[in-house]
Amino acid sequence: MKTLATRGRRSGVRCWLIHAAWLTSVTCCVFAVPARAQQDNLTQGFDLERRGNYAGAADAYRAALKAQPADVGALLGLERALTALNRLPDIVPQIQAALATKPTASGIYGVALRTWATLEKPDSARKVLDRWVEIQPDDEAPYREWANLALTRRDRAEARRTYVQARERLKRPDALAAEVAQLATLEEDFPTAAREWAQAIRRLPGYRALALNTLGGTPDRNRPVVLRELEKEGSAEARQVAGTLMARWNDPVSGFRLLSGALPSSGPQAIEVLRQFQDALEPPATADAKRAQGMSLEAMAARTTGTQASRYRLDAARIYAEAGDSESARRMLGTLAGDPNSPRGVAADAGGTLVSVLLDEGKIDAAARELSQHQGSLPPEQLQQLKRRLAMGWARAGNLDRADSAIADDSTVEGLDLAGRLKLFRGDLTGASTLLRAAGPFAGSRDDATSRTAILALLQPIQDDSLPELGAALLDLERRDTVKAITGLERLAGKLPADAGGAELRLQVGRLQLAGGKRDQAEQSFRAAAAAGAEATTPAAFLELARLLNSTGRGAESQAILEQLILEHPQSAVIPQARRLLDEIRGAVPRT
Amino acid sequence: MKRREFLRQTGGGVLAASAVGPFLQRLNVRRAATWLLIPMDDSQGDHLKAYGVTFRTLERGAKSEWFLNYRGGSFLVPADSATVRDAALAGVSAEPLDDGAVAGIKAQIEQENMDAVPLEKAPKVAIYSPPNAAPWDDAVTMALQYAGIPFEKVWDPDVIGDKLHLYDWLHLHHEDFTGQYSKFYLNYAGAPWLVDMVDRNSHTAQSLGFVSVPAEKRAVAQNIAKFVERGGFLFAMCTATETLDLALASNGVDIAAAYADGTPMDPAAASKMHWDQAFAFQNATLFQSPTVSQFSDIDGHQVNSPDRRQPLGSFTLFNFSAKIDPVATMLVQNHRQVIPDFYGLTTSFTRHTLKHGLTILADEPGAEWVKYIHGERGEGTWTFFGGHDPEDPQHQIGDQPTDLSLHTHSPGYRLILNNVLFPAAKKRELKT
Repeated sequence: MKTLATRGRRSGVRCWLIHAAWLTSVTCCVFAVPARAQQDNLTQGFDLERRGNYAGAADAYRAALKAQPADVGALLGLERALTALNRLPDIVPQIQAALATKPTASGIYGVALRTWATLEKPDSARKVLDRWVEIQPDDEAPYREWANLALTRRDRAEARRTYVQARERLKRPDALAAEVAQLATLEEDFPTAAREWAQAIRRLPGYRALALNTLGGTPDRNRPVVLRELEKEGSAEARQVAGTLMARWNDPVSGFRLLSGALPSSGPQAIEVLRQFQDALEPPATADAKRAQGMSLEAMAARTTGTQASRYRLDAARIYAEAGDSESARRMLGTLAGDPNSPRGVAADAGGTLVSVLLDEGKIDAAARELSQHQGSLPPEQLQQLKRRLAMGWARAGNLDRADSAIADDSTVEGLDLAGRLKLFRGDLTGASTLLRAAGPFAGSRDDATSRTAILALLQPIQDDSLPELGAALLDLERRDTVKAITGLERLAGKLPADAGGAELRLQVGRLQLAGGKRDQAEQSFRAAAAAGAEATTPAAFLELARLLNSTGRGAESQAILEQLILEHPQSAVIPQARRLLDEIRGAVPRT
Repeated sequence: MKRREFLRQTGGGVLAASAVGPFLQRLNVRRAATWLLIPMDDSQGDHLKAYGVTFRTLERGAKSEWFLNYRGGSFLVPADSATVRDAALAGVSAEPLDDGAVAGIKAQIEQENMDAVPLEKAPKVAIYSPPNAAPWDDAVTMALQYAGIPFEKVWDPDVIGDKLHLYDWLHLHHEDFTGQYSKFYLNYAGAPWLVDMVDRNSHTAQSLGFVSVPAEKRAVAQNIAKFVERGGFLFAMCTATETLDLALASNGVDIAAAYADGTPMDPAAASKMHWDQAFAFQNATLFQSPTVSQFSDIDGHQVNSPDRRQPLGSFTLFNFSAKIDPVATMLVQNHRQVIPDFYGLTTSFTRHTLKHGLTILADEPGAEWVKYIHGERGEGTWTFFGGHDPEDPQHQIGDQPTDLSLHTHSPGYRLILNNVLFPAAKKRELKT
């Protein structure tokens, strides 16, 4: 009996457990099915909305709201879809149902507020606002929404009143600071905008990017007051913003100094601020911007370790070198060299950068020594590039033999180009032409290619195989001694027949004079080149002359020259450029 | 130099000839060539400037002809030194012809769907444009400047002061004749250029004695209609087409939003419109909300309404019988028949809003809209072309100006220039 009774009890318990389990599973199924359907409706709504089927999306959201009237996601979706259909008034029943179901859900009030405002029912909208504030007394959201609606109506005064009221009621003088800052920017009250942004960032550093974007557009004349207000505010965040703005406003070095004194102690946060500073410099076009970028990379290196720190230092060295700050570049490279933990690749790159810095400084002997030290570890391409730069350095120093030997094993097209130029400096015109032609039209940078074509055009009409005077003049030009180069080229132009290089040399002389700002002399040279009667040179000389005259406000004379050029040389390759300039002078096309 | 000195001593005419000598040589001009054919097919070096060369020929008092449907709508101009020089400077291709060759072409024209229309007098051109308008923000201004066709600008005081009788041809671009500043308030409130536009228009309306800008713009529209009725040629593009007709049809009806005239739009405005006073459209639905930056359903593309905006396609020029319908034929002369479409505040014209009896010059086959229409009113004619800039299909305010030297063969711009030269044609009895 006992056993049976026990068995019976056990059986009853099992039965109850099974029953309970069955009930639970049935209950789960009963509730799980609508939840999945709800999710399906929402997903379908999003999908249709994304595809631009707003009517279909509205139906899907409505279905979701029928099952769960207070689903804020569905209500917001319905608001978006109906707005796109220009049928927002249709949402009113759903809002009423949502508020009746869940009168404390903050998200529903936002939709209600926007709807009543769109329906131009200010009293209803105000009631919704009051109720919202009542249920969420410490929340900024109701005030933010109300002010946004006022701004949509371009009612800035109401927006401002709302912000003031919010600060009083919330008892927080920094409440809605980002919104107040944006309103102040809209009203061109830049000092207030700066102060408010400083408050907003102090409370929520994530606002920094928005603050930089908004304040970045401050007109020139208002910039000093913005910087003053930010510095006056005194917080580290405000100084970070001020420093970054200075980078954007062409005072990057001072900007970095201000910023570096206000960097967060945490490494990752500081790096984040430094990255924003670098973004403000992009692309670093001036020497100061490059120097500031170098400084920020150096600061990043100081806050990192290992390979990443070495990379930052190497990048800093390169950008310092580009900025012409060889001392800082060498300091970075020295740190890298002294760091036994620098990865091998970084050390080699550092060696190459050092050679580059020395070449920039004109220290050819030192560069040659460094290059011979590192040449085993440098990638072949970089090694050849540095050797070519070294060769040009020797050429500029007048040591053409060492220049030749530096590129003796260089069979690249860039090497052919340089070998051609070295022949030219020696006056070997035939050899130079052969090598420069062999280099082709695309070797090197665009500037290199253009200059190679210009040299070939200059050499083409000259009959002589060898002209050391021309080589010497072009070498002077390479050394940036333009005055000496012009003298040499002019002397040679007098000796050569006009159609055998004389006119072409005068044209080059004119271009050099113009680049040096000597417009009167350039005009004479262009006129002489044009009048010499060399068929290949005259149109180009006319075009240069016309450009010169136009740039000095002598449009009528320029126009006459261009007309003569077009009519007398209709087959010349410069005709499209001449017509373009003529159109600009006549006002037929916008000036470029 | 010696040769030039000799030429100078022998007289200006010979000097002029010498200046164009190499060009003539390139053209292989024979001694007997008395004409230049300016071909307008794909052999043309600069289609747009070709119109300018022809226009200036007329300005010099010479007679020219427009060979409709012959090699893309070519021009026959005298082979005098001035024209040869002009063509050479402009980069316009020209082929020398003697009288025999011209006779041969005319025989072909006689046999086929072609015609030779004499061009007699360069029309006096006016462009309706506010004084502060950006010089590069109007396709017609750009086309005329590029082609070198002279024009004068007129604005409200000139139109109200009845100065339009001084001109043969008038162009309207993106003016809003409903006086609502193109409904730019929606997106550009506070923009300095809009503030300036509002100030200037308000001040002008006040100084001309009108109670509001919409009232003044309607009076301007009515004077433009009178200009056409008296025999003027009207060419309108972009939103000027739609708003001109809305302004005319709303005589006595308030269709302007409160921000423009201080009073809300008449809710029953649509039913009170006088479409008989409009040029081209009828029974359009008005978009009354000031927050919808479109005026009516006249425009088929509705570029500024995200939910109604239609994508751009291509429009096709219609073929007309050159001998029976020379006017329509002149307006569609082109080296391309299918042309990529381009947006404007008014891009196209819905078929259901077009009046009966006007001529459709181009449409998008299968679409609910047409692109290019023409009609007569009184003694004059009007042509409406939808869109803003044929070579900037998605033009935005503040965009860089279009550089027409990069679009010398633009078929869309050719349609504009057809309209400029069309008034030069000798009037004759039209068959349609």
